Amino acid sequence: MKSKKQISIQEAATEIKNGDAVIVAGFVLWRKPMAIVYEMVRQQKRDLQLLGANPGVDCDILIGAGCVKIYESNYVGHELFGKIGNNFARAVKAGTIICEDYGHYHGVLRLEAAAMGVPFLPSFSCLGTDLLNPEYDMLGQAGLRDGSNPRIPREKFKIVTDPFYGDGNVVLVPAARADVCIAHVRQVGDQGTVRIDGQRYADVEAMKAAKKVIVMAEEIVPEEELRRDPAANVLAGFRVDAIVECPFGGHPGGVYGCYDADGAFLTNYNDNGSRTQEDFERFAQEWIYGIKSHDEYLDKVGASRLMNLRANSSLKWSTTVKRGVR
Amino acid sequence: MSSPNYAKPGDYKLGALMVIAAAREVRDNEIAFAGTGLPMVGIMAAMRMHAPNAHLVYEAGTTDSMPISLPSSVGGPRCGHKAAVISGMADVFGMLQSGWVDLGFLGGAEIDKYGNVNCTCMGDYKHPTARFPGAGGNPDINALAKRTVYIMVQEKRRFSEQVSYATSPGWRVKWWDKDGKMEWVNRKEVYGKRFNGGPSAVITDMAVFRFDQETGIMYLDTVHPGQTIEDVKNNVGFDLDVSRCSGETPPPTYEQLDLLYNEIDPEGIFLP
Repeated sequence: MKSKKQISIQEAATEIKNGDAVIVAGFVLWRKPMAIVYEMVRQQKRDLQLLGANPGVDCDILIGAGCVKIYESNYVGHELFGKIGNNFARAVKAGTIICEDYGHYHGVLRLEAAAMGVPFLPSFSCLGTDLLNPEYDMLGQAGLRDGSNPRIPREKFKIVTDPFYGDGNVVLVPAARADVCIAHVRQVGDQGTVRIDGQRYADVEAMKAAKKVIVMAEEIVPEEELRRDPAANVLAGFRVDAIVECPFGGHPGGVYGCYDADGAFLTNYNDNGSRTQEDFERFAQEWIYGIKSHDEYLDKVGASRLMNLRANSSLKWSTTVKRGVR
Repeated sequence: MSSPNYAKPGDYKLGALMVIAAAREVRDNEIAFAGTGLPMVGIMAAMRMHAPNAHLVYEAGTTDSMPISLPSSVGGPRCGHKAAVISGMADVFGMLQSGWVDLGFLGGAEIDKYGNVNCTCMGDYKHPTARFPGAGGNPDINALAKRTVYIMVQEKRRFSEQVSYATSPGWRVKWWDKDGKMEWVNRKEVYGKRFNGGPSAVITDMAVFRFDQETGIMYLDTVHPGQTIEDVKNNVGFDLDVSRCSGETPPPTYEQLDLLYNEIDPEGIFLP
């Protein structure tokens, strides 16, 4: 029987409105809900405010497709498969997005603050860097920190003195309060209980930081199954608004225990699919606009390619994918 | 003990020399933060050489793992093999902030003589001529670990008098008063009681550099085989202190090359 919470990829993307503050969970090229990201591009989302700690190919594609107005995070690239998110870099240079740079830990703390329901959290990181240069508050420079938008805090950060232990300078970073979080995991229960296998990145905080939570999974499993080992679960189903079932929904990224990141695809995206806006338009036509469904996408990627990425069930990673030159 | 069986020039690539130089920075029993690329190869090599009891931490959320297959990303499944704990970033960054991490390896696009590193942009931040991925965990690790080692490409424009954007804090850092006026101050003043340390070495494709404990200024420590002090000076954009150069960077040994190419990176991911 189909779960009441289950929706389609198209419906999931429809839940994201123009102008929303969105967190795409996952880590750079791992457990990214790419099938929903592609559908957001097809539905031509506009003026999104991207929050979150670990953007990667998801963010670069959304920026290339003109979906993003504000980016607040710390890194856009593809690690080994492309040092710089090309669409991101081009948009920052052209000034077509507002880019608010934070350090990685501050990005995590901003999610954690929102998850805890507090307005900010303190840390000692990034002191003495341009990340805390008052001149480089780009949302402030754009006049958007007047308190009228509940998703934009009045300050980028604040440095205070520790009143408790005399530890000196402390940076406060504001909660990243999002409208929607989309995440991708291996398994979700039919009532929405979320299981994460392997590194959790900042996903638990990310899901708790948003008003609306959409969890895509490689498979939807019976709740009873996940409730046999509750310690491995990270979020109760009543906090999850909708679930989507989508095998290989993280491609070209990878999913722990399911499949490796498709390095060749990402390298090709970096080298030939995003260096110029024309390159990206060609890539988007081929892999996003020109494709009607996720099934069609998987057919285009190809069965043997996906099988080579598939993880060994004992080791949790692929032993067949070619990664290096030897 | 027999003398090291150093590889002859032509028998090894620069990448291998750099990784082994990085590995030498790891001490036994240390807790080390590994980034994607040569740093993780360096730490894994150190753990098979002189530091078998070092503990490896990946910033995406694994503590004390023992990879048997080289991860191609800090967020990948190979990072979790035989880990003591698999958690998330809040956990490992919290461990870093509470002073547990001895050593972090980092990269960067541009560095100044105090070890301030830029991974954000070139030119004016508001209208950059080039944009890079951004901070990542660079400033966190550099602010909160006891020692950090940079692995970088040696070019005059990358070793600058002043970096375009100080993403990651060196030994003298930018500080703004209440009115937003900037001055350069000693890192210890800014971090106060929470000062843990800072940049310790820079390993490039030409040389190894270190920082003076008093002044925080970078100096040349060793020059890689085949390079001269003059070559290095010509590829540094500030007046480099070469008075303390202690000689040549030792090349990798044949045993170490075997370790790197046949055991740690047999697939040729980071060491083609």
